[in-house]
Amino acid sequence: MSDVEKLRAELKALNSEYAKIKTLPPEERGEFGRTMNQKKQKLLAAIEQAEAEAENSTVEALDISAPTAPNQPIPTVKRGTKHPLMTELDRVIQVYSAMGFDVMESRQLDDEFHMFDSLNFPIGHPARDGYDTFRTAEGFIPPAHTSTMQHRALKKYKSKLEHGGQIAVVIPGRVFRNEDVDTTHEHTFYQCEGVFVSKDATMGQMFGVLKHFFEAYYGQKLKIKTQPGYFPFTEPSAELLIEKPASLGGKGGDWLEMLGCGMIHPNVLKIAGIDPETYHGFAWGGGIDRLAMLKYGLNDVRYFESGKLDFLEEF
Amino acid sequence: MRISLNAIKSYVRVPESISDQELINLIGSRLVEVEEVIDLAPRYRGCYVAKVVNCEPIPDTHLHLCQIDAGVHNEDFNQLENGLVQVVCGAPNVHAGMLAVWITPGSIVPETYGNENFKLSVRKLRGYESNGMLAGADELGFDTEHKAIAEIDPKTAQPGDALADVFALNDLILDVENKSLTHRPDCFGLIGFAREVAGILGIKFEEPEVFRELSAKTLPNSAKLTVEIADSELCPRYSCAVFDLPGHEPSKYLTSTAVFLAKAGMRSIDPMVDLTNVLMLETGQPLHAFDYDKLVQVGGSETPKIVVRAAEDGETLQLLDGKTIACTPDDILITSNNVPVALAGAMGGKNTEIDASTTRVVLESATFSLYRLRKTQMAHGIFSEAITRFTKGQPAAITLPVLEEALHRLGISPESVIDEYPSKIPETVVKITTEQVNNLLGTAYDTDTIIKTLENVGFNVEGAATASSERIRSYDEEERRDPATAVVANAPRGGSCGSTTMLKVTSPAWRTDIHIAEDVIEEVGRLLGYDNIPLSLPTKPFLEPEVDAMVKLKQELREILSGRLRMNELLTYSFVHRDLIAKVGQDPEDCYQIVNSISPDLQCFRSEIAPSLLDKVRENLKAGHKDFTLYEMNQISRKSYGLTDEGTPVTKTHLGIVATSDFYTLKAQILAMFAELNIPVEYAVLSSETAGHHPYLEPKRSAELFLDGQNIGAFGEVKASVLRQFKLDPVISAAEINLDKIAIAPRELQAQVQLSKFPSVERDLTLKVAGDAPFGRIDTVLHDSLSQQNLYFDITPVSIYQPTDSATKNLSFHLKFSSPSQTLSAAEISAIMDKIAKDVSAVGATVI
Repeated sequence: MSDVEKLRAELKALNSEYAKIKTLPPEERGEFGRTMNQKKQKLLAAIEQAEAEAENSTVEALDISAPTAPNQPIPTVKRGTKHPLMTELDRVIQVYSAMGFDVMESRQLDDEFHMFDSLNFPIGHPARDGYDTFRTAEGFIPPAHTSTMQHRALKKYKSKLEHGGQIAVVIPGRVFRNEDVDTTHEHTFYQCEGVFVSKDATMGQMFGVLKHFFEAYYGQKLKIKTQPGYFPFTEPSAELLIEKPASLGGKGGDWLEMLGCGMIHPNVLKIAGIDPETYHGFAWGGGIDRLAMLKYGLNDVRYFESGKLDFLEEF
Repeated sequence: MRISLNAIKSYVRVPESISDQELINLIGSRLVEVEEVIDLAPRYRGCYVAKVVNCEPIPDTHLHLCQIDAGVHNEDFNQLENGLVQVVCGAPNVHAGMLAVWITPGSIVPETYGNENFKLSVRKLRGYESNGMLAGADELGFDTEHKAIAEIDPKTAQPGDALADVFALNDLILDVENKSLTHRPDCFGLIGFAREVAGILGIKFEEPEVFRELSAKTLPNSAKLTVEIADSELCPRYSCAVFDLPGHEPSKYLTSTAVFLAKAGMRSIDPMVDLTNVLMLETGQPLHAFDYDKLVQVGGSETPKIVVRAAEDGETLQLLDGKTIACTPDDILITSNNVPVALAGAMGGKNTEIDASTTRVVLESATFSLYRLRKTQMAHGIFSEAITRFTKGQPAAITLPVLEEALHRLGISPESVIDEYPSKIPETVVKITTEQVNNLLGTAYDTDTIIKTLENVGFNVEGAATASSERIRSYDEEERRDPATAVVANAPRGGSCGSTTMLKVTSPAWRTDIHIAEDVIEEVGRLLGYDNIPLSLPTKPFLEPEVDAMVKLKQELREILSGRLRMNELLTYSFVHRDLIAKVGQDPEDCYQIVNSISPDLQCFRSEIAPSLLDKVRENLKAGHKDFTLYEMNQISRKSYGLTDEGTPVTKTHLGIVATSDFYTLKAQILAMFAELNIPVEYAVLSSETAGHHPYLEPKRSAELFLDGQNIGAFGEVKASVLRQFKLDPVISAAEINLDKIAIAPRELQAQVQLSKFPSVERDLTLKVAGDAPFGRIDTVLHDSLSQQNLYFDITPVSIYQPTDSATKNLSFHLKFSSPSQTLSAAEISAIMDKIAKDVSAVGATVI
């Protein structure tokens, strides 16, 4: 006889005892009823528990380490994948946008004027060679930097200045350099440009904005430092370095070159119809590929454009 | 460019409190990126000056058995009984009595240091024990050719001296990045570099003699030569001197000049050439020597005349390296009476080369158009130290002073010095105010600090200085603060002292990069350190930033496609091979053509995304992936799209999709995508025009998409003939969708949620229709029928069943409907179903 059956038999016996109540004097009946009910409740609870235990003991245990039960197909979870470069690009846009920057998109086919002339590169200046630009037979340029959009950004938002406001815009985009591809060089990559113009913009504000961006992006306090740079479209020019964040395994003392920056050259403002006597600005541009490589610890930039699902499914 | 720190220290007294590392960090943060620091000391650690005491030939070999005295170092190695050390040497010039360089056993041969690290030992050669080696200049890293062992001038050293002490090899060589000095020709000389270092340290730079007085002197001119510049744009200044070549024999000793040149990556050639190279390294000004008599002879005239002019197209000249070049009109030629004798700035001509017979020379010190020389450099592939400097635009002001310095060092008074300088470049004067400096940088520098900073590097500053007698702190007195100063919302603005002081700043003649106030402000900010600028943040009004519609759409689509629809996002190149475009049946001629790619695969700017994705299917199938949907969003263009108002090509942003599935699966995904976007689209059979745009789609198994009645793309199964070209088997589907209209399409913001509070009814419905009846027509009638009856409803297709050889097919639906106003009675439900049966019968469908 199982536990449950024994308990049921007890319950049956108990129920039959209820008949005794009629034989008792009326003043004892109340006490008798309460005692009987207590006993009954106790038995019912015990039965319920015993039944649950009995049921549990019949459940078959799984091999939780197995991908499936014997004779069953192995379930697959189909995943979609977002390209890691685009994930970083979206994150960069998100941070700048939250800081109050408008967002424009860069062009992938442009001309000499936007790529060089509007950026104060003298015609035929050797500095133009430093960009290893592709050229098309039709005389156009797949741009080598997102700075190719600076002139358009200045013109587009100029009216904000005229209404007492500021220009604050970032411009992500795909850019191209005519060079051999290896583990650290790609001819096709992504950059994000930033442009800020106001009546009282300073270099100190530029470093403040960029430090804040990297702190928001990496979610931690960071140290920054600079080294001089040369870009015809900024004066003064600098390169910004950040101390390798702890979240990327930095132990202090390692510096990462993140971007080029500087105060917008008065000629660049002038060409866009902004009076450099009244307004100052700063601009910067940095690579997205580098952010993604650092974040994911990648050592070969060629994966990004490889189209290999084996790579993409890692993200 | 390689810069010796010892050389810099010879021009600047660096305070002892500043370590080398600190100095290098300062150079890196205030002048130029230091890519690498090479410490020479360890590579010369085992090199000593030793005297060859005995030297006997080893019979039947070219070797000599030498006994050397390396001073006190003898004791550390295997000494002979006479206290000397035995070394076997194969060099022809080894002889008793000479001072040589001995590399001790256990040391690494300096030339191999850091590469193969060849370590010397004690070993037997032809049975004779040899300890270490006697080294040649090449093994020491000072020459490229192996000629003989290096001999040391006994006047400069004695046995036992460390080689590093004799030749200042306890040195750090900085490899700096040239690119950020593109605008600073003055920094391509050690003196100019050192001047900056002084400025960074807050020390007034002591100009060496050569740059102390730049104004022209009275020049001797005995009419040995005249100079004519055809166009001063090509050549702003041409200075030269004619003189008898001093009879300097090349020294047989290893010279400090050879070591100096080696530190910069150059080699000693002969005393005349070495002098020009040393001066170039020191001052940045390249010099070139011609054989005067050959020059006169080539010109064929009694009155020798140098003419500097543009080359004529196709004009030829044999250069010093033996190659004959055909000039372009961009090249500048130095000619003797119009006969070319040198490609200006790049290389001299063979016809006026200095050789053993040379007795008189013309030494040229000139500057040329950097734009022209850049083209010369590219056209003829010449990348010498000289042209690297010329393409930065060497300042005209220093040609003559450097020439005079050369003559001074040669110890000669020339017969003739010519200085052709047609239009003197005026000095640059820029006016700045203290306020301007501080307003741009966000600093609070006082006037005296600004003046001192500029004067330290040779600027002349005049102005109503506040004449504070307080001394400006130099770097070593600066407070060393953490560059990561906390961001302060309101940084000090505008200097408090003399904030309106007007300063008249005259730039030194060697600075070609100073034109406007900002150029001067950069000098102040940089020399005082950008890292010392207090950080602040701009204030900004509370306004929602404007995010470009396409940026937003792409972000949204990534979430939909990669997230809910489980597709895989790829990025592929914007430039594709012509073959890829041809494979999918499109016209490569409509693509913008890349003309200068260094990779043969990059020929055309692509006109669609899907072909690039199609090209990635096979390798992913081979890698074991079976069921996938690839997508990419990127810009494309076609010449036939024309140009924008600003004259640039019209580009469009496309979404390309390629899936290892059939038409219906892709259709379901695309419709789901638009449903998620809340953008209503329609689709129809491909028109012949759309089919022409997507010739790789099988028109019988494809559809085109419409937004607001306008075509926005197409999708369908790829033609089997196209798949064969990609070595793929059917079935693969593709879509190409223009996102431009979608990005700006109005969205249905109001959700169409229809939920009745009354119970809904579910019914299955199967309709028998003709085998060729379009599903869409029946589906539309069903929708219309339920709408007309004022019901909330859902119609879910369940199956389409058509037995083989049957002329009819069965369409099954699951219907769910409810009334917005009441519970439907059995009679009402029957009436609804009857109405449906009646409506569908009008399009030939029978309820079964």
